[in-house]
Amino acid sequence: MSRMAALPRLSIVVPLFNEEESARPLVEAVRAAIPADLTWELVLIDDGSTDATSVVVGELALEDSRIRFLRLARNYGQTQAMQAGFDAARGDIVVSMDGDLQNDPLDIPMLVRKLEEGFDLVTGYRARRQDRLMSRKVPSWIANRLIAWLSGVSIRDNGCSLKAYRRELLERIHLYSDMHRFIPAIAVATAGASVAEIPVRHHARQFGVSKYGLSRVAKVLADLLTIKMIGSFRGRPLAMFAAGAIGAVVLSVLCASWAFLAYGQPSFHTAAYVIPSIAVLWLGLAGYFIMLGLLAEVAVREHSGSEREELPLYREWIVTAKS
Amino acid sequence: MGANVKNYPFTVSGSSRPRADADPVPPAGGARERVEISVLVPVSERPESLTTLYQEFSAPLRETGRSFEFLFIAPTQYRALTAPLAELARKGEPVRVLNVGPGVGETAMLKLGVQRSSGSILLTLPAYARVTPAALPDLLAALEQGADLVIARRWPRNDPWINRLQSQLFHRVLRGTMGGRLHDIASGVRGTRREVFEAIPLYGDFFRFLPLLAIREGYVVEEIPTPQHANDTHARVYGPGVYARRIVDLLGLAFLLRFTDKPLRFFGLIGAILSAFGGVLLLTLFIERLGGEGIAGRPLLLLSILLVTVGLQSIALGLVGEMIVHLNAGRRRIYRFRGTAPGTGPVADRRLQPASAALAHHPALERRRISDRRQVVRT
Repeated sequence: MSRMAALPRLSIVVPLFNEEESARPLVEAVRAAIPADLTWELVLIDDGSTDATSVVVGELALEDSRIRFLRLARNYGQTQAMQAGFDAARGDIVVSMDGDLQNDPLDIPMLVRKLEEGFDLVTGYRARRQDRLMSRKVPSWIANRLIAWLSGVSIRDNGCSLKAYRRELLERIHLYSDMHRFIPAIAVATAGASVAEIPVRHHARQFGVSKYGLSRVAKVLADLLTIKMIGSFRGRPLAMFAAGAIGAVVLSVLCASWAFLAYGQPSFHTAAYVIPSIAVLWLGLAGYFIMLGLLAEVAVREHSGSEREELPLYREWIVTAKS
Repeated sequence: MGANVKNYPFTVSGSSRPRADADPVPPAGGARERVEISVLVPVSERPESLTTLYQEFSAPLRETGRSFEFLFIAPTQYRALTAPLAELARKGEPVRVLNVGPGVGETAMLKLGVQRSSGSILLTLPAYARVTPAALPDLLAALEQGADLVIARRWPRNDPWINRLQSQLFHRVLRGTMGGRLHDIASGVRGTRREVFEAIPLYGDFFRFLPLLAIREGYVVEEIPTPQHANDTHARVYGPGVYARRIVDLLGLAFLLRFTDKPLRFFGLIGAILSAFGGVLLLTLFIERLGGEGIAGRPLLLLSILLVTVGLQSIALGLVGEMIVHLNAGRRRIYRFRGTAPGTGPVADRRLQPASAALAHHPALERRRISDRRQVVRT
């Protein structure tokens, strides 16, 4: 039990991929930024870097026992690196941030204060973002609008890694694929989290190169569709597929009535084959959607009641003293 | 569960899979000594005399002075081959045989063998002599030098050209689709540590691709050239069904390696391409219709609608896949640390981890591994 006392209150989780130059300034900035009354640990995750990141971070960890170093077996990507850091973090409050010094640790106390007001997740938004307009800001603006529209969770800046989490939230959300971009939407959809957003500082990149590109747009679109499905139809996938089936039936009926009305007109001899066939195609799609929806219901049914099922986050707010 | 396992010692099921810290359950015969090296021989596909195999391959192991056992896993139809092994066992040789039903595949046999053996080092051998027995000490040496999985690559080869041609074609396709620089992934002579094998998710026919799955898990995989065995000269020509299955395996593997946790990326891309193609066709038809031409009778209209509906089907399939992945995400973790790491335990345990555990990761401890990694095969 003596170890329990030594547990930090705050864990700062930073995934690093080829950040040999940024690692040391980052640690110094964190040391300078956190007030003395807040015990903290810094969890640095080397996501299979090919440069000297692991050497630099290893030395930092030896110098300061508050710095913990996790080294992944290969480059798994930011989502998995963050998940590894979350799993290792021991604080009641966890803060995630980028390792490239674009986020400022000076904002951390403010995030923590906001979290303590009673939120499960506080996400920063980069008020004056120091990035290129066309390749970074515009796609990001569109993506944020899309996420807000599809998920119903209106966050100005989903791409900002600087976030603070309650431990209970992190135990309920599980990041896979590239889902770190959608943490607020997932937290609301799957854990019923309450989310706050506050402005944070943002600096231009000092070292290294950006690890993003425009190529991720298609991936983001696919992920968005997934988020939409999980958010709206997690417990009742048949409803989603039934909506698709109704659309297909409507198209089928339209084609069938077109064929019916055209019957007997001079131009009908070839249309006799094509239009009814199209009606049948749409009808087939409708049937297929229903079957898929039923299959998805089987998956959901298997999940509910199993040990993997998770109930929403809560805070008990009327607490009576135990007798 | 323990009692269950004892009653049915030869079943493999998700629930009887041993935890990493659990003692491998000894077979019904009673307690056995733990050994250092377990040699697993799944008996399938043209087996030869197993006693000869044992005598040939146990000799170099005996010379290393380390304790070992040979575990033959054989479907019942090979009883004539496994019967003479009883004689060896009676003489005190470390030989064990697990008989399984006739329909059990090689992956299941291997997993069963791993579960029922006790060695911390696992060697696998096919049921016929494939490389010279001297390869085994080389595999052990490579494992000691830091490799997580070693393959005895048959090189130089002395079997018929038809075998070599097939192998070359197969590996060329493999390298083209999945990267890596492996030359003899199908060589059944492999060595690994128990925890590595147990960390690799293996099912179906994927034992063949074990090295690729290991690379994906971040393990260090090496190939060691070993002369092919003088007796391994049979021409291997299979029926068309076997080749078809290989192609299916490759397809499955390519999908699994890239899209296991993001099925919509795969199905969605296919669906989007098909739908977009159909949509463009519809648009051209619509423009023609505006120009006054009748389109109701055009087969192209049928094609474009067909493309759109098939595309939508594909996207819907991807969504069901995502649903399944999401529901099962739970506490499953795909990342792995280099070496043993803090933070890998169950969620409840992490509060008890000392802060000093962080030092377990200092690169100084890894220096030897880094220098070894120059010869590492990577995807």
